[in-house]
Amino acid sequence: MRHPFLYAAQKALVFVLSVLLLSLAVFYVSRLAPGDPLISYYGERAEKMTVEERARAEEKLGLNAPVYVQYIRWLEGALHGDFGISYKYKTDVLEVIRGRAANTLLLGGAGFLIIFGLAILLGIFCAWFEDRLPDRILCRVGTISSCIPEFWLALVFILIFAVTLRILPSSGAYSVGKGGSLSDRIRHLILPLAVVVLEHLWYYAYMIRNKLLEEVRAEYVLLARSKGLGKRTVLFRHCLRNILPSYFSIMAISVPHILGGTYIVETVFSYPGLGTLSYESARYHDYNLLMVLSILSGMTVILCSIIAQVVNEYLDPRMRQGPEVEPDE
Amino acid sequence: MAKLLEVKNLSVSFMTGYGEVQAVRDVSFSLEEGEVLAVVGESGCGKSVLCRSIMKLLPGSASIKNGQILLDGADITRYRERDMQRLRGRMFSMIFQDPMTALNPTLTIGRQIAEAVQAHEPKISKTALQKRVAELMTLVGIDQPEARAGLYPHNFSGGMRQRSVMAIALASNPRLLFADEPTTALDVTIQAQILDLLREIQQKLGTAAVLVSHDLGVVARAADRVAVMYAGKIVEIGTAEEIFYEPRHPYTWGLLRALPSFAKDGEPLYTIPGMPPTLINPPRGDAFAERNEYALAVDYEEMPPMFRITDTHFAATWLLDERAPEIVPPVGGGWNGR
Amino acid sequence: MADDILLSVRHLTHCFRLSKRQVLRAVDGISFDVQRGEIFGLVGESGSGKSTVARCVMNILRPTQGEILFNGVNVCDAAQRRANKKMLQTQRQIIFQDSASSLNPRMTAAEIIAEPMQINHITTPRGSCRAEAEFQLHYVGMDASYLDKYPPELSGGMRQRVAIARALSMEPELLVADEPIASLDVSIQAQIINLFKHLQEEHGFTFLFIAHDLAVVRYLCDRAAVLYHGKIVELAPTAELFSNPCHPYTKALLSAIPIPDPRKERARPLVKFDGKGLRGEGRLEEVSAGHLVWKEAET
Repeated sequence: MRHPFLYAAQKALVFVLSVLLLSLAVFYVSRLAPGDPLISYYGERAEKMTVEERARAEEKLGLNAPVYVQYIRWLEGALHGDFGISYKYKTDVLEVIRGRAANTLLLGGAGFLIIFGLAILLGIFCAWFEDRLPDRILCRVGTISSCIPEFWLALVFILIFAVTLRILPSSGAYSVGKGGSLSDRIRHLILPLAVVVLEHLWYYAYMIRNKLLEEVRAEYVLLARSKGLGKRTVLFRHCLRNILPSYFSIMAISVPHILGGTYIVETVFSYPGLGTLSYESARYHDYNLLMVLSILSGMTVILCSIIAQVVNEYLDPRMRQGPEVEPDE
Repeated sequence: MAKLLEVKNLSVSFMTGYGEVQAVRDVSFSLEEGEVLAVVGESGCGKSVLCRSIMKLLPGSASIKNGQILLDGADITRYRERDMQRLRGRMFSMIFQDPMTALNPTLTIGRQIAEAVQAHEPKISKTALQKRVAELMTLVGIDQPEARAGLYPHNFSGGMRQRSVMAIALASNPRLLFADEPTTALDVTIQAQILDLLREIQQKLGTAAVLVSHDLGVVARAADRVAVMYAGKIVEIGTAEEIFYEPRHPYTWGLLRALPSFAKDGEPLYTIPGMPPTLINPPRGDAFAERNEYALAVDYEEMPPMFRITDTHFAATWLLDERAPEIVPPVGGGWNGR
Repeated sequence: MADDILLSVRHLTHCFRLSKRQVLRAVDGISFDVQRGEIFGLVGESGSGKSTVARCVMNILRPTQGEILFNGVNVCDAAQRRANKKMLQTQRQIIFQDSASSLNPRMTAAEIIAEPMQINHITTPRGSCRAEAEFQLHYVGMDASYLDKYPPELSGGMRQRVAIARALSMEPELLVADEPIASLDVSIQAQIINLFKHLQEEHGFTFLFIAHDLAVVRYLCDRAAVLYHGKIVELAPTAELFSNPCHPYTKALLSAIPIPDPRKERARPLVKFDGKGLRGEGRLEEVSAGHLVWKEAET
C-alpha cells in the first residue's frame, strides 16, 4: 500500500494540473470565438464608438494585449483571488456567481439525489421481475423517456402545465416579491426537476438492473441459495452489496453529466442558475465570468472522477492488499 | 434402508430462441441415506441440470415438464419457493466446480459460513455462531479457523476455497450433498485431498451425496453407485463395481475405452465417432445409435427401455433384449486396468 | 547426437515482478533437451511454471536468465533472433489450452489456418490459401464443409483441431502444446491424443507437450520432466518415470492420479509431499541412463 500522504499528494497534483490546463484552453478558445466583448460591457453604445474610444475601452478592460499576456495577467489575478469583473453585470465575478450558485445547487442536488434514489429502486424492481411484464413495460417506457431531448420535453411540460393547465409557473426560481416563500420556490422547482430526473433516471436504473442481473447469474448466488437463503436476502445482501462500489463510482462520474443536463433545463425555464449564466456569458463574451464558470464546472468534473476512484478503491476489498494463504495442507 | 431421494421420470426443458431444449429426459433413480451416487457424462449431457432441478435452482427459462421428485417420501415437485428455501441447506446443499466464482468475493469467508448457519438458526447467539463457524472450518480441514475466518476468498488458494465452500454446504447438516464437478478446477494432488475429505465427511456425518463428474477416475475413488448419462437420459446405472467391471451399455464401453490408462501399448486410443445429438429435437430412437458400432436396426426406431441385469444394475440398450444378437463386450468381464 | 537435438533449454530462469519487493521465480534454472521427432512432456501442477517455459520457448516472454537454443539459434539473443526471424517464426508453433479464446471468433476456419502463411508470404504449395486450409483440415480429420465456419459454431474438439491445423499450416519442426486437451471431454481428448500420436509417428513432428494429466503423458510422451515450483525434480523416459519414480514429489503426483478402477483406486493410499528437500540449492543427478533426479545439496 502506498503511503496515504503520497497518495493524496499525487491526486492533488493531478487536480491542479488539470484545472490549469482547462483554464488555458477555455481562455484561448473563448477569445477565438467571433463577436465583440465590448457590447456586453457598453451595450448598444459600443457600436457607435469611434476607433479611439474603442481603443480606450479595450485598454480599460485589458483586451488590447496579446492573448498570452492577457492569460498571465488573468492568472496572476486569479491566484490572488481576483477573477475580474463581469462585463455585463459590472460587479465582481464571484459576486455574480454567488447569487446564482444556490439555485443551481438546489436544482442539481435535488435532481441528483432523486435520480439515484429512484434509479436503485427501479433497478432492483426490474431485476426482480426480470423479463416479466413489469420489467418489460418499464424497459420500454424508460428507453423512450431517455430518448426525448431535454429542451423538447421541457417545452412540452411548459405547454401542458403552465400554458394549458396553468397549475405551475413556466419560468424563474420564484415569483416576483415572493423570494422568501418556500412553497413558491418548490412550485417553481417542480417542472425543471421533473425534466432533469426523467431525462437521466432510466440510464442509471437500467445500468443497475443489468449489473444486478449479471451478479444474479454468478455462481455464488447459487451457493447462497443452496445454503437456504431466500431470493430477497441474496439479492440485497450479496448482489446489491457487490454492485454498490461500481454504483458509487458511477454516481460520482455522472455528476457532470447531470450538471450538463441541468444547464440546458435552466436555460429553457429561464431558471436563474449557473447554467443560464454560463449560456449568457458565452453568448455575450463576458470573458471573466465565462472563465470562472468553466473552471468551476471543470473542477467539479475532475473532483468527482477522483472521488469515484477513491471510493472504488476503498469499497472493494480486492483492491486492498491482504495476506495470501498459500500452502494446501 | 430408507430411500432418501427418489426421482421418477423427471424431464426438464429449457426454452431458448432456437426451440425447446430437452436437457433432462425421463430420468429415474433413487438414493439411500449415506450413499454416494456418481453421475457421469460428457459436457451438455444434462448432469448439472439434473442436480439443479432437484434443488429447484434453475433459471426462469427452465421448467420441470414431467415426473416426480420425492424427498424422504414427500413429493417436492410442486413445492413453492418458500418451502424449497426451508429445505435448501438443511435437507440438501451444493458444492460447485469453480470455488472462486462460488464464493462472494466481497464477503469474508467467516461471514459467508456464518450466513449459512444463520439461514436455519436465525436466533443463534454471537458466541455460539463463532464457535460453529470455527467447528465447520476445522471439519473441512482449515486450521487456525479464528484467524482465517476474517480473510477474503482471494486470499485463499483453490483447495482452501473448495474447503470453504464445503464448510458452507455442510453448515446446516444437510442429509444430501450435490457435488457438481467439485475437483475439476483443482490440481491433481489437491483433487485427491478434496475427494478423500468428501468421503471422510460423508462417512462421519452420514450424508448422502450426488457426485457429478466427467472424470471416471474421480468416480472410481468416491462413488458407491454410478449413473451414466447421455443426451439427457440415464443410459446405465449400477454399483461402481458393476459399471467399471461389467458395463453393458455401448456408451459406457466407449467412455472407458477412451481413457489413456485403458490403452494397450502402441495402439491408438479408442474414440467414440461422431458428436452428441442436439437436444432440441432429439432422435426418436436411441440417441446414441448413430455413434454406436453395435447399433441394431431397432435402435433408430424405438427408445430402449431400462433392462434389468441385477437388482442394482440397469442399462438402456436393445443389446440386452433377448432377441438381440450375442455380443462380446470390448471391456468388462473381469477386465482390470493397469 | 547433437544434430538430433531440436530444442535445448539451458539454465532457464524467469521471474515475475509481483510488486516492488516481491519477485516470483516462476521458472528457476531449468535445463532440458528435446530431440527431433520425440514428444517431450512437461508435467506439473498450476503454478509450477510449465506454461512459462512454453511461453519463453515461443518468445512470448523474455527469460530473466539462461538461453534457449532452437536449431542451434539462441532465441533469447536479439541479434540472432533477428537474423533467423523467418525460420523461428515458421518452425515453432504453439497450441493453447482454450481454443475458444485463442482463436479470433470473427475469422472463419479457413482464414485462421491461412493467416500465418499470408503473414510470412509463403507461396502455397497447393495453389491458393483456401486449398491449403482445406488440406490442413483434412490432415486433422475435418472436411471442407468446416472451412467457412466461425470458431463459436464449432464444438470444443473441432475448435482445437482448427487450432492444430493452424499450427501445422507452417509445417513447423516443433509444436508446443500448452495443455491442449485439458478443457475437452474424455472421448474428444482421445481423438486429439490420437492425432498427436499420428502426427509424430507418421510425419515426424516434434512436440513439447505440457500437461497436468499424468495418464495422458504416460500414454503419449517419450520422455517427461516433472516440474515443481519452477524446478525440474525428475526427468526420465516415460516408462521409467512411471515404473520407477524416485523423487518424493513425483511419487505424490503419481499417487494422486485417480485410476478408473474402483477396487484398486480405493485401496491405494495417498502419498503426501510436504515440499521438504526443495527449499535450497541442489542439482539433478543421473540415477540410471537418462533418468535424472533432483538432489538437494548438503548443508
